[in-house]
Amino acid sequence: MLGEFEYVLMTSAAGLGESAYGAAIREEIEKVAGRRCSIGALYTTIERLEKKGMLKTWMGEATAQRGGRAKRMVRVTPKGMHAAKEFYEAMMRVSRNASWAKGKPERAS
Amino acid sequence: MSSLAEMATIFLAPKDRDAVLGDPAEKGASGWSALGSVLGLVVRQQMELWRAWQPWVAVSVAFAGSVLLLGVSFGLSMDSRHLLRGERGYGSVLCEALLMLSWAWTNGFVVGSLSGNARWVSGILCAIPCFSCVLRFQDTSLSRLCVLMFLLPGVIGAVQGVRRARLSYRTALTLAIAMTALMLVWGGRYIQNWFLLMPAWWLVAHAERSELSNGRWRHEDAK
Repeated sequence: MLGEFEYVLMTSAAGLGESAYGAAIREEIEKVAGRRCSIGALYTTIERLEKKGMLKTWMGEATAQRGGRAKRMVRVTPKGMHAAKEFYEAMMRVSRNASWAKGKPERAS
Repeated sequence: MSSLAEMATIFLAPKDRDAVLGDPAEKGASGWSALGSVLGLVVRQQMELWRAWQPWVAVSVAFAGSVLLLGVSFGLSMDSRHLLRGERGYGSVLCEALLMLSWAWTNGFVVGSLSGNARWVSGILCAIPCFSCVLRFQDTSLSRLCVLMFLLPGVIGAVQGVRRARLSYRTALTLAIAMTALMLVWGGRYIQNWFLLMPAWWLVAHAERSELSNGRWRHEDAK
C-alpha cells in the first residue's frame, strides 16, 4: 500500500497531467495540501515510486527560466493509478464512520 | 553560492542534477537555498539507500574479505618463495593461487552486485585494511605490494558484478563446488578462510532464486 506522501505526490502529478514535473508538483502539494515539501523529499519519493513502477520519469526541455536546465517530467503509470485508487478507497472505507467524514460535529472525548 | 550548489551535485546521479538545480532557479530561490536543496537530496538519498540490507552485506563482505585476502596474498607470496627454493610443491602453490583468485573474484562479484550506489563505501572499506597493511608491512624479503595480489581479480569481479548482477545457476554451482573441493584438497589451512566461500554459495542461492522466479513468471505468462 502507498504511503500518505506517496499518495499526495501521485495525486498532484496526475492532476497536473502532461505538465507534471518536479517544481510544478512541489508547488501543487504546497498549495493544495498546505504542507511544506522539500526538494529532497520530492525527488527521493519520485525515485522510490519509479522503482516500484508507479511513476515514469524522463528529462523534458530546458528553459531559460531554469538557467538552461532540463525539467524532470513525471507521469503516473497504470500500476500507479491502480495503487492510488486502492489507497483512496481504503481511506474512504476507513473514514466512513468518522465525524469529520460525515460532516457531523466532533464528539468531545 | 550557486557554484557551490553545482559542485555539490557531483554526489547526485546525472538525471537528478538538472532537475534539482533548475527547480530553485525557476522559483528565483537564492544560492543558499539551492545548496540546501542539493545537500538535502544527497542526505535523503543516502538514508534511503541504507534502508535496504544489500549495501550492509556488501560493505561487510568488502571489509572482511579484504582483511582475509590480505593474509591469503601474503601466504601465497611466502609459499611462492618457498617453491622457488624447492621447499614446496607446485601442486600446493597452484591450488593456493587458484583459491586466492576465485575467493577474490567471488567476493568482488558479490560486493559489486549488492553495493548499488554504496559502491564508494565498499571501496573505502576495502581500501582501509589494504593501506594499513601496506604501510605497516615489515618483511624486507618481500615487496610490500605482494599483499595486494588479490586486488586485481577482486576488482575484475566487482566490475562484472556491477554489470551482470548475477551468474547463471549452472556457472555459480560449478564455481562453488570447484572452490569447496579445492579447499578440501588443499586442507583449508586457515579455518577463517571458509568465510571466503560464503559469497560463492550465496551466488548459487541467488542464481537459483532468480531462475525459479523467472520460471514462475514464464509459467504465468504462458497461462
